[in-house]
Amino acid sequence: MSDGAVLAQQASDSNRQHRLPWSRVRPWLFALLILVVLAVLWEIVKVVFQVSDQKLPHLWAIGSAFFDRPRGADGPLRAAILFESALATFGEALAGFVIGGLLGILLAMLFASSRLLERGLLPYVVGSQTVPILAIAPMVVVGLGQLNAPDWLAKAIVAAYLTFFPVTIGMLRGLRSASPDALDLMRSYAASPLQVFVKLRFPAALPNLFTSLKIAATASVIGALVAELPAGSQKGIGVEIIKAAQFYNANPPLLFATILMSALIGLCFYGAVALAEQLIVRERKAE
Amino acid sequence: MNTPAIIAIEQVSKTYESGGGPVVALQDINLTIAPGEFISLIGPSGCGKSTLMRLIGDLAQPSAGSIRVKGKTPEQARRDRDYGIVFQAPVLYDWRTVRKNVELPLEVMGLNDTPRSERANAMLSLVGLQDFGDAYPWQLSGGMQQRVSIARALAFSPSILLMDEPFGALDEMTRERMQAELLRIWGGAETDTTVIFVTHSIPEAVFLSDRVVVMSPRPGRIERVISIDLPRPRDVTTREAPRFFELVTEVRESLHEH
Repeated sequence: MSDGAVLAQQASDSNRQHRLPWSRVRPWLFALLILVVLAVLWEIVKVVFQVSDQKLPHLWAIGSAFFDRPRGADGPLRAAILFESALATFGEALAGFVIGGLLGILLAMLFASSRLLERGLLPYVVGSQTVPILAIAPMVVVGLGQLNAPDWLAKAIVAAYLTFFPVTIGMLRGLRSASPDALDLMRSYAASPLQVFVKLRFPAALPNLFTSLKIAATASVIGALVAELPAGSQKGIGVEIIKAAQFYNANPPLLFATILMSALIGLCFYGAVALAEQLIVRERKAE
Repeated sequence: MNTPAIIAIEQVSKTYESGGGPVVALQDINLTIAPGEFISLIGPSGCGKSTLMRLIGDLAQPSAGSIRVKGKTPEQARRDRDYGIVFQAPVLYDWRTVRKNVELPLEVMGLNDTPRSERANAMLSLVGLQDFGDAYPWQLSGGMQQRVSIARALAFSPSILLMDEPFGALDEMTRERMQAELLRIWGGAETDTTVIFVTHSIPEAVFLSDRVVVMSPRPGRIERVISIDLPRPRDVTTREAPRFFELVTEVRESLHEH
């Protein structure tokens, strides 16, 4: 193929993608199909193994749980209450994601600049992740509570605790991903260390960074949620989960509804990061 | 040679430390290169031809001996931006457009926006890619990518062009076209550019060079330096000239002498 033909071919490929929405709709339809299959499986399992409604409610029961009015006929829908809780948790997770993300990037830059620092500090970073988050969360919540810190901050810090680790590892790998030739090229330009970082190492690290940010996004939701479990929290989907679990016998579908809602937060967060990735590294060739 | 040397290599050796003891990559290399000369380094793998190029470009340091580039150390020459480098892989930054890739060295050197993009456009025209400035590297064929790499290396008019098997990854037809292209660009450059060209292709070395430096391995040393007296400008007819075949044979025989 001649030089021009290669480009023309690629241009027409992408045109075709715009003209036919089918190729864009198809993955979503497929995801929907899987959802339907899972729902059918759920109901089949119930019938075949004779699982009681108490253990595994019908899907429509879970669905209708969203439309309860727990605070009386004039009160808000359960969906609205859960959504408000979800928003609170999302906010905490987001704050933790930002704190943890920045910390992770900073640590990675530190480790990339010095093998000595990496050897000395990385074991502690890894060690931090082997401590159960369930043990850390109450300590942070209680400790910060005594300092009169705002309620959301403790949760954000627990979320950040789970977030910074994948970001550190991913970013470190990314910062080291520039090829020796690319570095030699910068050397031949007599580029300063700052220029090498800004023009080569950082942009080269972005694909790895985004991979780790996607992991961090879902982890931060878990962190915020776990931090809501200790007594004393006012709102958040974690609080709703605890309440629903306490009164499970009275209303089994409610627990499933709250779990569904918390999964939705993680999905939305992941989607947002994936979208940002698309916008920022879209010009690169798919690997 | 009576012209003052642009590169003077005296008694240079390079030894690597490896697990199985020191490895002598280059031994007692002496070579003088005149300004504007096109020099090819040829030899089997392990003969140290790439290492020699890297020593000249201050990408590695010799274990013994001295290298002077325009009367300076290679390090000073590098700081003065005397070197343009083209590797076997195009090494384009895939997050930059073709034009932005060519602008990269100019950005590092602190050139302002307008002269920078003007210069990049001129370089892209020189390599025949003026219509592809806004494309991304992965949208180009291998040959086109390597032309971008050459445009980038020449963007800041370095006096010395170091090329490490730049056409090694291309198919034979593209390769011959690129060789002719390179000679045209080299001949058309506003300054007298000296080229150090590492290759393992005999016809390529003969077609391009003023002198072919034949090297042999273990330890890497210079076997012979063969002057190529083919007239310039060279084109497809050069490849069919009897003298071309004589020289190819001469290079081949000195490669197989040991």
